[in-house]
Amino acid sequence: MSKKHKEYRSKIRIYADILNSLLRHGGSSGPTHLLLGANLSYDRLMKHLKQLIDLGLISEEKNDDGRIFKLTDKGRAFILEFAKIEKFAEAFGITI
Amino acid sequence: MSPQLLFLLAFTMDLISSFISILVGYHAFKSYKVSSAKSFLYLYFGFTILGVGIFLRAITVTFFVLVFRIIEDIPSSLLSLSNFAGIIFTATHLVAYSLFIATYVIQDGSSGQQDLGVGGAVAAAVFPVARLFYIPTLELLAITMLGFVVVSSLMNYLHKRSLNSALVFFGFSFMFLSHLFFLFMIFDEFLLFYGQIMRLIGFVCLLIMLARVNRTHV
Repeated sequence: MSKKHKEYRSKIRIYADILNSLLRHGGSSGPTHLLLGANLSYDRLMKHLKQLIDLGLISEEKNDDGRIFKLTDKGRAFILEFAKIEKFAEAFGITI
Repeated sequence: MSPQLLFLLAFTMDLISSFISILVGYHAFKSYKVSSAKSFLYLYFGFTILGVGIFLRAITVTFFVLVFRIIEDIPSSLLSLSNFAGIIFTATHLVAYSLFIATYVIQDGSSGQQDLGVGGAVAAAVFPVARLFYIPTLELLAITMLGFVVVSSLMNYLHKRSLNSALVFFGFSFMFLSHLFFLFMIFDEFLLFYGQIMRLIGFVCLLIMLARVNRTHV
């Protein structure tokens, strides 16, 4: 019988997953793509998106199709910084 | 190689090692600020303490070497002071290694005889002073602690199989070797110099890892 391990994701990693998902969609996306990309429930995704907007890492725009979330320059800088931290952590065997 | 040149070389190696150590510590602190992962904080304190310790040791050894060369009859108080400084500096290493252990735990000589001819004058000028800063018992403790760190970094490398984790493993391994050299300095004082070279190589491995990390693209 196989045992499924649910890996704990830190808040910072969830942020990175959401931002990377946005990046993969060319820097802007609606919530549906982000739900799949970040593997979160709708409520949790909305909570994190609000926090990311407050931090200035993403911006929100409303158009005829609904809500669109856009990656800001600060968000792009965060993705790069996180990628460096991830590599540094990996080198020392640190989990983030 | 003249004793002065050799001493200058050893001094420079210590300065470079301490600079790299503080640089790694700074990078760990930056990572901690973003991620809040405690392991980064241990790494930051560990490398900073280690870097400051190596720097202070280099400065103090230089001071004592110069003083001991000027004064012919060395007062026992001065010898005691240099011994005390040696204990303090080795203790900084032990504190740093404890923090490296915490980082991992909280997560889940044959040519010496030849060189002795060249180094004879050097030994007379530098090593009798410099070796006061190395306490064999504490070196044994450092070897044990660093041994644990080396094994942990090896396990991480075997798990991740990345060049960066290999560089960290090599970095700690060379530091481990340097302490072995420092320990066996009681048999051949020239091993102090070799130990410093080993430590520098270890720090250069960590510097290469840092450079690779900073070249990351998204």
